[in-house]
Amino acid sequence: MTDKKPKVVGFCCEKHGMDSAVLAARAGKLYDASVRIIKVPCTGRVDGIHILQALEDGADSVFVLGCLEKNCYYDTGSIEGRKRVEYVRSTLADLGIEKERVEMFNASSTMAWKFPEIVSKMVEVAKRLGPIGKGGDAR
Amino acid sequence: MANEVLVIGGGPAGLTAAKSLADRGANVVLVERSESLGGMARELTCKGLVECRSCGACFAVDRASEILKEPSVEVLLLSEVTSVKKDEAGYEAKVKVSPRYVTDDCIGCGKCVEVCPVDGKAIFPPKGTGQPRIHWIDRSKCLHFKKKGCTKCAEACPTEAVDFEDRAVNITRKASSVVYATGIDPVDACEVSRLGCGTLKDVVSSVDAERILNEKGRLARPSDGAPPKKVAVIQCVGSRSVKNGVDYCSKFCCKYATKISQLIMDADPEVNLDFYFMDLRTLHEPQDDFKRWAKDKKTVRLIRSMPATVQPGKDGKLVVKASSETDTEVQENEYDMVLLSVGMRPSGATGELPASLGIGTDERGFAKVGDELAAKGIHLAGAVSEPMDIEEAAVRATATASRVKLSKEVSG
Amino acid sequence: MKARIQVVACKCCTQAPPLLDMNDIMSVVSDRELVVSSMLVDGICDSKNIRPVLEDARNKDVDRVLVLACQKKDFSPGLLAAYKRAGINEFLIEFVDLRDEVVLPHLGDGKRAQAKAETKAIAGLQRLLMLEPLEKARENMRTTNVVVLGGGASGRRAAEVAAAQGAHTIIIEKSGRSFKAPGVIMPNSSLTGAKGYGGNFVLTIKAGEKPEELECAAVVVATGGGWTELKGPLAKACKSSVPLYQLQEQFQGGAALKGPVVIADTPDPAGKTLAVQDFAWDETLALATDIKRKQPLEEVFVVFQEMRAFGLSELAYKEAAELGVKFVRYDRSAGPKIDPQEPTKLSVKDLAQGDVLAIPFGTLAFAAIPANKDNQAIADALRIPMSPEGGVRRGSIQRWPVSTPRPGVFVCGSAMFPKSKETAEAEGEAAGLLAGRFAMKGTIEFGGIVAEVEQEKCSACLTCVRTCPYEAPFIGAAGKAEIRVQACQGCGMCAGICPSKAIELHGFTDDQIMQETRTMLGGDF
Repeated sequence: MTDKKPKVVGFCCEKHGMDSAVLAARAGKLYDASVRIIKVPCTGRVDGIHILQALEDGADSVFVLGCLEKNCYYDTGSIEGRKRVEYVRSTLADLGIEKERVEMFNASSTMAWKFPEIVSKMVEVAKRLGPIGKGGDAR
Repeated sequence: MANEVLVIGGGPAGLTAAKSLADRGANVVLVERSESLGGMARELTCKGLVECRSCGACFAVDRASEILKEPSVEVLLLSEVTSVKKDEAGYEAKVKVSPRYVTDDCIGCGKCVEVCPVDGKAIFPPKGTGQPRIHWIDRSKCLHFKKKGCTKCAEACPTEAVDFEDRAVNITRKASSVVYATGIDPVDACEVSRLGCGTLKDVVSSVDAERILNEKGRLARPSDGAPPKKVAVIQCVGSRSVKNGVDYCSKFCCKYATKISQLIMDADPEVNLDFYFMDLRTLHEPQDDFKRWAKDKKTVRLIRSMPATVQPGKDGKLVVKASSETDTEVQENEYDMVLLSVGMRPSGATGELPASLGIGTDERGFAKVGDELAAKGIHLAGAVSEPMDIEEAAVRATATASRVKLSKEVSG
Repeated sequence: MKARIQVVACKCCTQAPPLLDMNDIMSVVSDRELVVSSMLVDGICDSKNIRPVLEDARNKDVDRVLVLACQKKDFSPGLLAAYKRAGINEFLIEFVDLRDEVVLPHLGDGKRAQAKAETKAIAGLQRLLMLEPLEKARENMRTTNVVVLGGGASGRRAAEVAAAQGAHTIIIEKSGRSFKAPGVIMPNSSLTGAKGYGGNFVLTIKAGEKPEELECAAVVVATGGGWTELKGPLAKACKSSVPLYQLQEQFQGGAALKGPVVIADTPDPAGKTLAVQDFAWDETLALATDIKRKQPLEEVFVVFQEMRAFGLSELAYKEAAELGVKFVRYDRSAGPKIDPQEPTKLSVKDLAQGDVLAIPFGTLAFAAIPANKDNQAIADALRIPMSPEGGVRRGSIQRWPVSTPRPGVFVCGSAMFPKSKETAEAEGEAAGLLAGRFAMKGTIEFGGIVAEVEQEKCSACLTCVRTCPYEAPFIGAAGKAEIRVQACQGCGMCAGICPSKAIELHGFTDDQIMQETRTMLGGDF
């Protein structure tokens, strides 16, 4: 575990991804300030390099949040987003970096409960695993 | 400029009709009785986890947010149409807008609710995922109005959004057409007392199960808050039954319940789930889909039977007694949670207001409007006229919106 | 030309409840080079507060604006319009949602919230500097045509409503039957190809010998279910079996039906090859009831797997049963069979009784509606998705029911999934309204946040062409990918997937995304 403030990046689509985050905020739900939300028009826009660069720039964990599959505003966007995340996860595995640092989530605009849970989970991963390469308890 | 269309009801049908009409260029007054838009869909859970299961709940929520930003739609919440008069120009409606006592400075943090001393509270957030996200005070429960002085919520509010000076107003709106979309009331599962709702804690109606899932994302037993491991889902509770007057099929319950079952199994693939049904009426989906899914799951059983009773068993468990498919034997199965899938009755179809508009009802209470009434500009939308799910309510409301005569149409 | 930035912050969004020190943030931000105007306003949505903001923008020759407030979609449309009038490019207005992303979720965490808000403001500023002005363009829709594929109940309603909106409707009907509908009817015709994009489609219609080209603004797919199909061993064993609609016609024509009458579905006993979509329950119950009323001594059997009389149709089921129509439920393990040696006897295991019934019949009709086998060709031509059972699937419900993912293409009725005539008609009306209004817009608006290919980097691998749901990328004359901007929806899937990194999405370029990420990660909170 690390005491240092964890850094979590969340690529959220501007449709149901952000809708669920905004609903959570407007339903009085609080979540850890460690998360940095980066808005994209669709999670299909997310490139593997965005995720990898985020990890290189100091993110301890990264998530991608898109619409539910088959309900993506752009039809197959969140399916593409998930493929990109899977690609990065397998790349991380090859690099000896924990796969769980990067994860794909889907949500709809009615889910006020989900965004805080996602942040919670990714912050826990970030704290538990610590910065990349330095080991969980090395500080 | 005279408002052209009055839409009564802010649920999926009313919202869709209002949006479609606004897109056509109409000015719309949307009158909603409760404190927020979304209707029954506010407390329905999204039934997808990774893949959308097409339940339609988000459609209503999205329309609600959108309508509040639509410049040509005037939304009146906590409002009721008290009377409608017809003259040569069209309809004149008197609307009573009840006070909310909370301004739109409200940020939805809920601190007010925490400090409210009333048992059962007097200040509430919008129901479920209702929009806008502004709390409201039920005056009849509020101590401030009973014995003047309680201002706990106002003091706790970080944005000073509580306004005890809010007052009811009576306003008048003119329209050339009226869309009546007052929606449904769920059947009370307690009407079917033999199935334990109201007496056994872990027997919940689908309405409650949806509300819990919508709030928390997972199901928990009311008795101890633990996640259930053995669940029975019972269909047609209170529907297709002459006994309580709901002898029709409510149309959406199989669709919602099969998808909730799938959601439950998504959360915990080891749950044992028994689905009790009479006929599998998964709306607009192949009848085989759910059966194939169940077969694949191995801990899901489809049991074609209407259970006779749900009784308390050992260790706080529930025993469901049902005859087998061929009626030859009686089976008892034990569960730690039972979901009763309830149907619907039409809401607001009877009474002075619909009668004054000329809206009649059939023998079951569903609203009926003939062609002559439509020619006069009175239209129905949504499940107040017959059972339907959210998506069909949206489709029919769009169809209704296409039939409304407008004095001017906007192109583009 | 150097950028000249105005930073506008809304107190209402960012200081209620009091958590952020906006003065602090404003001073940090205004200190930055190129910020020529900075204003902390009480409530931006209040129109009286707009004027001083715009005046300052005009006086200081502002060319781009950073708004620290709430979501763009909650922002006052009046202010956006005013900025436009003041000559500020709409794509050079950047929104930082401090309210929903910092103030509300981090109540009680003031210090971190402050640092985060400041970082977000700086990141927003940096992003704003990287944005380019983008222009939307318009193209005239060459026609107000709405082409309706299918002249059935659903299609006719779609045409009526589209025509009522002012569109010119053309129904493409595959059979030769005649019916009344507005606009033009093309019988014995079918769709074989489609090019273009919503607002300006060019369809290829096969009507007789030569294929014809037909331009239209919108398309409604109303091709219905495969009513006429009789499949499976039962159909083969009983040569005289008819589809339900034919039995309806015979009965309505006054013919006395030879009983017993059996109405069944068309399963393949192995349940493999025939994905029976649904049973025509409303029509079956209506016909069965009518037969019983007219010929009360005749036996009528309905043989089915699931009794799916939805909603108020349940009452028709009740009525039919009360009149003596016999309902026989079976499952695939022991489905209905006809021994070819005894072609007038149907044997089926009745699950309610547990016994195998041998039903001698005089008339056998099939009431199950499989998917229309034309759907695949139509979906391929229009590039719209299909459901696994062979129906045309609607797109995300975010776009509206009865829509497909492709703008300008709508779908209704049993083409999606078999349904009652009444529901199919309601869907037709809805699709007709959407298609009609779409076609009457007169122009297509496009551009702004769209993709662009850097041709030197393109390896013509076709990944973008295969990925895009809107047929926006295509291989152009130069043998490299190009983007058909009119069709581009601005999702960026192509940019995300291009293995050569040859595609960028304006407004969301790799640099813009990664810079924002980097700045946010650099913030100490």
